[in-house]
Amino acid sequence: MRHLDPDRLVLLALSEENEGPGDSGHLAQCAVCRDELDSLRTVADLGRESEDMRDLPPPPERIWQRIETDIAVSPAPVTRLGSRPGRSRPRWLMPVLAAAAAAVLAVAGTVAVDRLVHRAPAERVTARATLSPLPTVPSSAAGTVRVLSDGEMRVDVRNLPLTTGFHEVWLIDPDDPTRMVAIGNLSATSDALLTVPPGIDMNRYRLVDISDEPHDGDAAHSGHSLLRGTLTY
Amino acid sequence: MISDDELAERLRAGDEKALRTAYERHGSAVLYLAQRLLGNRADAEDVTQLTFVAAWSGRATFDPQRGTILGWLLGIARRKAIDRIRSAARDGRVAENVRAQVAPPDQPELPERIVDRLVVADELSRLPAEQRRTLELAFFDDLTHPQIAAVTGLPLGTVKSHIRRGLANLRRRWEVDGAAFGSRSAGPTRAL
Repeated sequence: MRHLDPDRLVLLALSEENEGPGDSGHLAQCAVCRDELDSLRTVADLGRESEDMRDLPPPPERIWQRIETDIAVSPAPVTRLGSRPGRSRPRWLMPVLAAAAAAVLAVAGTVAVDRLVHRAPAERVTARATLSPLPTVPSSAAGTVRVLSDGEMRVDVRNLPLTTGFHEVWLIDPDDPTRMVAIGNLSATSDALLTVPPGIDMNRYRLVDISDEPHDGDAAHSGHSLLRGTLTY
Repeated sequence: MISDDELAERLRAGDEKALRTAYERHGSAVLYLAQRLLGNRADAEDVTQLTFVAAWSGRATFDPQRGTILGWLLGIARRKAIDRIRSAARDGRVAENVRAQVAPPDQPELPERIVDRLVVADELSRLPAEQRRTLELAFFDDLTHPQIAAVTGLPLGTVKSHIRRGLANLRRRWEVDGAAFGSRSAGPTRAL
């Protein structure tokens, strides 16, 4: 028995041509061709129905920011400097903060810390973030960040673990976490008003990170992050 | 653009940028599925978030032998959406919404069908340009083979073979990633 020609099956599946007596006669007897035609028909129907899905709008950034916040507080590969770059590992396997030393410019000189009392009375918040503790940090630790229209950034934290060094505030590019900018350090008080260096792209450097820095004279991120959160607008 | 295989490998290795890429590539399909299943935007966004977070924490369970990243993500999203429907149905909050969306009385639409459609749409977008173009003219413009030949200037024989091969490609992908995918991958990813 000769099966139906593959091109014939396609025409039938697309309903471009109707089944003739020869087709029907064969299909009635031949399970192989019947199944083939059924599958092609289903796929052709799905293809037709897929028209609405061709140009779906890109998924919104705000959902990504929530995903990012969630995975930053879940056991991620980023929390601690485990290994050094190089060796035989591919680049993307490195804990992302490991390359920080090379990538970060020390901007400590631009940092200005003011007490809260100095701030202008009427300020406008242009972005904010809720900081959540990383897994190794007591869950009571938390914080909020507000970026003000004048380019200052107010950081309020509570219950941070004690440190023999200091707590530093960073803005990290979540798309390339080796890229980050040091914004300033937190004093002993629970809140600080820091100055974001002018010209920083806050859409890119939108992941706020508070780290525990030892007094080792190394301006790079220690790799020991305590709190994280993503700025939203 | 990195290949799906490479993306899968990076994801499994714990590269956050790979998750971001997966979100850019497939977030819209996941959101679309969730929206169709749940019938409201806020729940759909929640489920999209849950899906990618679950994909991240369950990245080691992704098995490229079983299907593509899109198929895997849609499988997770479908389960998350169904979980949400069940828990919402308990307090009746979105039950009406959901019934209206998932099974309108005159035209029942199963989650599987939406998944299949998304998978086919994705494969269609990946076909070689001429193959894709001829299929689009057949599907969306309802043109016959000779009409497609006239519109595109391709010989009729070429149109035939593009359509035949294109359909075969869609079918192969559908068989790998389509509705059956959810049940086949039920083992390791069920926990997600």
